[in-house]
Amino acid sequence: MNPTICRRIRRTAARVAPALAFIVLSTGCRVEAPERSEAEERARTTGYRGILLAEAGPRPDFVLTDAQGAAFDFRLQTEGKLALLFFGYTYCPDVCPVHMASLAAVKRNLSVDEQRRMRVIFVTADPRRDTFERLREWLGNFDPEFVGLRGSEAEVDSIMLGLGLPAAIRDTAAGPEYTVGHASQVIAFPPGDGFRVIYPFGTRQADWKHDLSKLLNP
Amino acid sequence: MNGLQWWCSAQTSAWTWNPRPFPGVWLLVALLVAGYWLFRKLAGAPATPSDRSRDRKGKWAWAGGVLSLWLALDWPVGALSGYLASAHMLQYLLTALVAPPLLLLGVPIGAWRRLASRPGVVRVIRFLTQPLIALAIFQLILFYTHLPSVVDRLMVTPLGSFAIDTMWLTGGLIFWWPVVAPVPVRQRFGYPLKMGYLFLSTVLNTMPYAFLTFGELPFYGVYELAPPVGILTAREDQQVAGLLMKVGGGLILWTAITIQFFLWYGREGEAEGPAPPA
Repeated sequence: MNPTICRRIRRTAARVAPALAFIVLSTGCRVEAPERSEAEERARTTGYRGILLAEAGPRPDFVLTDAQGAAFDFRLQTEGKLALLFFGYTYCPDVCPVHMASLAAVKRNLSVDEQRRMRVIFVTADPRRDTFERLREWLGNFDPEFVGLRGSEAEVDSIMLGLGLPAAIRDTAAGPEYTVGHASQVIAFPPGDGFRVIYPFGTRQADWKHDLSKLLNP
Repeated sequence: MNGLQWWCSAQTSAWTWNPRPFPGVWLLVALLVAGYWLFRKLAGAPATPSDRSRDRKGKWAWAGGVLSLWLALDWPVGALSGYLASAHMLQYLLTALVAPPLLLLGVPIGAWRRLASRPGVVRVIRFLTQPLIALAIFQLILFYTHLPSVVDRLMVTPLGSFAIDTMWLTGGLIFWWPVVAPVPVRQRFGYPLKMGYLFLSTVLNTMPYAFLTFGELPFYGVYELAPPVGILTAREDQQVAGLLMKVGGGLILWTAITIQFFLWYGREGEAEGPAPPA
């Protein structure tokens, strides 16, 4: 190669290298050592990115009405399946739609058999506004197979308390667009029961993807 | 969370179409307008008709640059960039690819001459804006500011979000400098090389585009877990962001390549002189 060109290349490389090194060292350290999320840390110890409750009794026994108006026996109709239970409301502006959208997105990527072996159950904590039609329409936006359940406020609160969750707080005095304070976690009941896994708000689709196959085949 | 913020950042409360003020953005816009006035004052009146004509056009270019920044950083685009990856990408395009060349084109010729009379500063600028170095700096900033760990960490506070916007604007100014700034404050860089430089950057932005568009899962927690806006899922929003980067960024860069081509063509024509009579 022409020595002048070689010299130019060397000179350019000598100028570019310190600039690159400066930028990478001053700003890009995390590129090489990304921080592990809390969920990833949990997975290192328990195998699950959710919060494992190692000793748990059988799944709760309750009957509510589904969005089609039929009685739904939770224990009976989720037996042998992975049940993902969540209490929320369809007018929720943040937590509920994010959880439902994440579950729907990850479920779509499972095999047909795996999809068949899991059920996502959404229990409304706001039965005043969440009519059967509203539940059907709202859940249908995410996945038409998601089960929407409705009961009286007292029934739903009692189920939540039974699961160790706080009862919902319905701020109905605030007018028709009131908000509902409710537990923000999804509870996973694996097919064989014996343990539960809690997924707080902030659970990412990558976390669900990591855990769902384990939950389906514990 | 919806109280007064000096700069936009990611929010956990639901999106509303109620306008929100960002005083930091207004201050930046005011500083840019004042900066132009100062440039004009320092530069003095243009000496020749061609300088006058250049500065008249430059005034509009500067106004376009300021407007682009304002549009990118203020409500609603700025606020939406805390909810949607696609809005964040639009903000990137306006801040790093649209505003910087317009601002550089808007600098009065007298201000460039004043800068050229300071050899120490010119030496540093010429070093930083050598095409290969400028391209490397810009691509590193592009890569770094789109890393999930960086976006998730910085976008949640006004200061972090401001840092990202500042990096984009600074990177954009460095990137466009070799193409737009006049000699002697930049290295000599012919039109074909400028076209090659711009073309290379269209190729280099393919990598982040591919990651965003074809990623199986959402990359950014801040957007995946943000209160939903509109009907797009987190992944679809990310795909729109990727397409915006590729198509929007490509459109801007190819427009610049086309302009360079016609400038080159015009100059060649001038050198050849008028065609001889038949």
